[in-house]
Amino acid sequence: MALSDRGTAIATAPTRGEQLKHVALYPLTWLEERSGLVGAVNYFLFRKVPRDTSWFHTLGSATLTAFLVQAITGVVLAFYYKPDPDSAYQSIQFITNDLTLGWLVRGMHKWGASVFIILMFFHMARVFLFGAYKYPRELNWIIGVLLLAMGMLEGFTGYLLPWDQTAYWATVVGINLNGTAPVLGPFLAQFLSGGAEIGSDTLSKFYSLHMLVIPGAIIGLILLHLYLVIRLGVTSPPWSDEAAGRDRGEPAAPKGGRRGLMRPGRRSTNGQ
Amino acid sequence: MASRRIEERKAQHKRYKEDVERDGKPFFPHAMFHDTVMSLVVVVVIIGLACVWYFTAEGSDDPGWLGPHYTEKADPGTTDFIPRPDWFFYFLFYLLRIFKWPDTVVLGTVGIPNILLAILIALPFIDLRRERRLSRRPVAIVTAVIVVLAMGTLTYKGATAEEALGTQLVLAVPEWAEQQGFADDEDAVAGAEIFAQVGCGQCHQYLGTGSTNLGAPDLSDVGASNRGPEFFAGYVANPAQFGNNVMPPYAGLGEENLAKLGAFLDASKGPKG
Repeated sequence: MALSDRGTAIATAPTRGEQLKHVALYPLTWLEERSGLVGAVNYFLFRKVPRDTSWFHTLGSATLTAFLVQAITGVVLAFYYKPDPDSAYQSIQFITNDLTLGWLVRGMHKWGASVFIILMFFHMARVFLFGAYKYPRELNWIIGVLLLAMGMLEGFTGYLLPWDQTAYWATVVGINLNGTAPVLGPFLAQFLSGGAEIGSDTLSKFYSLHMLVIPGAIIGLILLHLYLVIRLGVTSPPWSDEAAGRDRGEPAAPKGGRRGLMRPGRRSTNGQ
Repeated sequence: MASRRIEERKAQHKRYKEDVERDGKPFFPHAMFHDTVMSLVVVVVIIGLACVWYFTAEGSDDPGWLGPHYTEKADPGTTDFIPRPDWFFYFLFYLLRIFKWPDTVVLGTVGIPNILLAILIALPFIDLRRERRLSRRPVAIVTAVIVVLAMGTLTYKGATAEEALGTQLVLAVPEWAEQQGFADDEDAVAGAEIFAQVGCGQCHQYLGTGSTNLGAPDLSDVGASNRGPEFFAGYVANPAQFGNNVMPPYAGLGEENLAKLGAFLDASKGPKG
């Protein structure tokens, strides 16, 4: 009950409005008291970002959206897909031709993969051109590169699953290529193919990698990636006159008028 | 020097945090609005691609605008199928046409991709300057342009690479026999037809036909070293035994076909005159 310095009469008898508010917010209060989650979401939503963020800064969340599309459509596909050489192809045909809206789910998963990979490259290009991989964001760049590699691996392992000729022969070649790597190559190829020929062992392994191992790693890396974005902040565009954190050494910014902070003799690097 | 740089970048980040705190805008609703619009665009584009793919194609027969719904069911027995990766691997796929088996193919398969990955990971430690404006980062700009052009070219070349189909290669067999002078050798001619049909030409060149995928060598004069038909039959059955991990095993062709294939390869001494 809220404390009030207006007198015990009010404190012990809150108004109707206050009572209602208390009841309405009780679930949130309960949750916040036990987890701190409300505060965390609050912090995430209302944290400050540089004034000059633009459409360029939406590529990261767009990539995340593409990943979520993959995750959701992937779960639905897993309901109906059968990872075994005798029935995989038929289950793909069933999903595409017979299942209600199955074509849409499979189509979104198939093309969402391309969109996901294109967006990862665009997002990386944006970070590169903005110089946003520089101190103190080096670690987040590395996590991003790992995410790109994981995304490509998803593409490689997912390509086999329809078990059609395209899938089969591309994977034969892909596994043989892994086999050319010095030292580890033959072991890797042996592990992936799970025998002399690509068959049911290969399909199960690729399915497991495609829907458990690699997505698990991707989700973990995305959470780390987001944590670091929130912790370190978003970089201003480098061309911005009011980039957050810019050096004040160069002639005062036309709009800024921050002469009091000028430090003559320093080269400007235009912030972060 | 180094410590001054460290001090400077620390101070800059501190300044950044202060500036954002003082002048920044809250993520919600301003930035989040942009993110939401962009995310909706992404979902609409994905649904659009799925619709175009589904409604313009028909099963495994009609590829439509974006490719067929599926190709024929996987069949390890038929080798007359052209292996093609998804489009985002085309650049790697084409890289393998540039490097030749067996000396440099490892550069194309693991060397260059892994070196590029290592450079990408190491980027923040290679470029240590604080400068972010593009006009003052000429090396970064030139590198970015070169990388985009190289990836774009390799992807385009990989997408448009011509593959030889076995049905077309078979027509060239009489000409091969004449040029190589094995027209009277029944086994070798039969072997040449097998060679054309099972898809050897998807990776190997032979007298100017076929492809050069995965660094596979030109086989026009592979028999010149006189290693005998049995050697070639054994090699094709299981290339891994000879240290070749790129080429798939063709033991499935059966003894008889392998013997004919061996006769053909041994008879390929290079074109006469």
